[in-house]
Amino acid sequence: MKAARWWGLAALLVIAVVASVAVGTIAFSPSQIVRAVRGLGDPTTVFVVRFLRGPRALLAVLVGAGLGISGGALQGTLRNPLAEPYLLGVSGGAAVGAVLATLAGLPPGALPLAAFAGAILAVVVTFFVAHVSGARGDSRTLLMAGVVVGAFANAAIMLALANATPDTIRNAVWWMMGSVADASWSSVLVLLIYTALAGGFLVLLGRDIDALALGEDAAAGLGLNVDRSLRRIFLVASLVAAATVASAGLIGFVGLIVPHMARALGLTRARSQLLACALLGGILVVLADLAGRVAMPATEIPLGAITALVGVPFFLIKLRRLR
Amino acid sequence: MISFDGVTVRYPRAAADAVASVSFAAERGMLTAVVGPNGSGKSTLVRSLLGRLPVQAGAILVDGQVAGGMHRRDLARKVAVVTQREELAFPVSVRDYVSLGRYAHRGLFSTEGVGDNAAVGGAMQSAGVDALALRSVDELSGGEWQRVRLARALAQETGAIVLDEPTTFLDIGHEMAVFELLHKLARGGLAILLVSHQLNLVARFADHIILLHRGKVAASGPPDQVMRAEILERVYEWPLVVARDPAVGAPALIPLRAARPIKGDGGV
Amino acid sequence: MPFVFSCLSFGSLRSLRLSRSWRLSCLLLVAAVACRAAPGRVATLHDDFGRAITVGPVPRRIVSLNPTTTDILFAIGAGGRIVGRSEYDVWPDSAKLVPSLGGALRPSVEAVLRAKPDLVILYASADNRGAAAQLAQAGVPTVALRIDHLAQFRSATRLLGRIVGDSARAETVVDTVDASLDRLRVAARGLSRPTVFVPVWENPVITVGGGSFMTELLAIGGARNIYDSLTPPSAPVALEDVIRRNPDFVLATADQDSAILKSARWRALPAVRAGRLLAYDSNLFARPSVQMGMAAWAVARLVHPELRPR
Repeated sequence: MKAARWWGLAALLVIAVVASVAVGTIAFSPSQIVRAVRGLGDPTTVFVVRFLRGPRALLAVLVGAGLGISGGALQGTLRNPLAEPYLLGVSGGAAVGAVLATLAGLPPGALPLAAFAGAILAVVVTFFVAHVSGARGDSRTLLMAGVVVGAFANAAIMLALANATPDTIRNAVWWMMGSVADASWSSVLVLLIYTALAGGFLVLLGRDIDALALGEDAAAGLGLNVDRSLRRIFLVASLVAAATVASAGLIGFVGLIVPHMARALGLTRARSQLLACALLGGILVVLADLAGRVAMPATEIPLGAITALVGVPFFLIKLRRLR
Repeated sequence: MISFDGVTVRYPRAAADAVASVSFAAERGMLTAVVGPNGSGKSTLVRSLLGRLPVQAGAILVDGQVAGGMHRRDLARKVAVVTQREELAFPVSVRDYVSLGRYAHRGLFSTEGVGDNAAVGGAMQSAGVDALALRSVDELSGGEWQRVRLARALAQETGAIVLDEPTTFLDIGHEMAVFELLHKLARGGLAILLVSHQLNLVARFADHIILLHRGKVAASGPPDQVMRAEILERVYEWPLVVARDPAVGAPALIPLRAARPIKGDGGV
Repeated sequence: MPFVFSCLSFGSLRSLRLSRSWRLSCLLLVAAVACRAAPGRVATLHDDFGRAITVGPVPRRIVSLNPTTTDILFAIGAGGRIVGRSEYDVWPDSAKLVPSLGGALRPSVEAVLRAKPDLVILYASADNRGAAAQLAQAGVPTVALRIDHLAQFRSATRLLGRIVGDSARAETVVDTVDASLDRLRVAARGLSRPTVFVPVWENPVITVGGGSFMTELLAIGGARNIYDSLTPPSAPVALEDVIRRNPDFVLATADQDSAILKSARWRALPAVRAGRLLAYDSNLFARPSVQMGMAAWAVARLVHPELRPR
């Protein structure tokens, strides 16, 4: 892809972030923002820019980048345009962790940790279930194991919420709808580390993903250790997805749509596709968060709801193109 | 170059061996073919060479080394495999596809080098597909696609190429073209190991044929030795005659209609 | 004094999320220092998030996002200082004149900051942790209160009295309510104690629990909530369980009234079939605030006709 397009994407990301910081219940001009970043001007403005909207916009970028790369890696590896980051039980496990933490009345700082632990546990169980079923490195078995774990997680959540107080249910449901409203610089830093490490690893493995595009047998013929590659890619992709869920709750469709957009840009090699997925994902989530804040006055529409809304027209368009 | 020594493979939870004590060798400069009815174990051999199936007994050796013990990448530098099926979910350009064959030659961090480009270019020329370089693979005809796949195997720059049913869905002209190319490559020094059910074409081009029946070697040798009516009828469980046309110069199998009684002679 | 000072540090240290051993050493250090500190006007109380409250100069611009606390603030004479409320804070009537800043749960921190408050009062539910943290970071004193039952009402009123600098007035408010309830207690002595079921929601069936002020008020007025053994202020229950407990009365609000009477499954309750459905004014019970004396008398009169004025 030409350099111009990459610059265009980067510029779009910057514009989206600035817009996210500028717009809200109070609107700021770019000059106000610059001054506020430097600590000058009305204290409320400084606080809002530095500690509310700033970290929020950056967290949104990281969540989008993480989900985008994860989705891109999984779609390429599984050769399935409907694969997405929550495939191997990540969302179900995280939700169970969060619901149980809410039920147990744990302090709110524990919620992201519980969600992360739940997600990782679910991924491990998925691998275990697939392994016990006997297939080695067969991606279809892994997918089905993921479905099984997800179904179990849904059942567990319903059981947990069935007799919960209205308070608990409200909190659990809100968490499951996804939000970057509680962003802080520490949460941004944590997610930055995860996304950079996992994203970097997946980009490096881009050539393996290219080889896997031929099918598992043919990839083995090219010299790829298929079992090991699949395991690595699934684990790392699920890890970064789990980190985004821990930071911001369940945000669907991003990991599903973004790889399609990257392919629509004409990128064929996995490495460049994954980088594009990161940029596109960041842009998408920042803009979705912005829309959620301004669409209805005085309230916020949850981030997960907006991304789901974006998913609908996207797939309608794809359906029409198929014909 | 590639030799199977008493190889026995059984699928997990299967009642019987898929292949049992199969031994043969595919040498450089020769076109070796494995033939047999459906389910005789032909593809199983390819998958076990790839390491996708474990070998219960015996060993598969590549240049004297046990294939199972070799590092994936080293094996890929010696043997290129063109599998029966490839499931490309997302279309790529022909050139990008052929360059996938360079996987084994590139490290984690390296990008395409001069050597890679030369190999890819040379491979596409040998396979006769350099005119298609910028086309998308999902736009190719069946014949073009097969030759592109062969180009990818050639780009891998190995001493041996293994092909599993490379001429399925091809018409006569394209089939012949592929076989001619394989024959040329074999004469050029490569070891070509071919799995096919196209007995007649195999008989024309192969130097050595291994006939499998229910996982065991039923016959092994040059075409004249293996293409005999009695052996083939037993293996394929169908009445047939083996004829020889002077214009062709190789035995040809002709299956008979079921109503006729089985005749022993084929005029070989 | 030193002990209390240590509590202050502990509270703020906890919010910094330091590890246990760190906290302990800081605690000891501060305790040592505190022993020598002169006793100041700094009072050390905790809100319902466990965070320490410093009672400093009287706040002039209060944002109260909780119907109960808004009501109480007006009652103790600080209503004029409220610059922002939640959309649910509609008592007393003059509260409606205060600009609404949106919801009481997950409020918009930006909107709150725009009102430039020097004190923010939030409802202490897990939903509001994020907002509390962000407001604290902005340097705005924030107090999170959870007022579900009588004792909490009393302590919250006293606390608010201290914060706004009029403890005497706060004490009067508490005494008024207590006096009314004491009179009721006396009047209900010797009367029957029927059982009552108080549904909050029909689908699923949610009942008022033991942790709610409504259960307490009912008990003072001589009626027992069949679910007073449940700890939370409200909880889901199965209709069959309600039938098994067979309450003497069902307390319903005006809109619930007709829904319950019409619904076939509610008629499984003997109380509903016999028409022992008591309609009460939901306004009286919308929040555990200064009107609780009146509220308690109102339901007591519903249950005990003898208490009604001739």
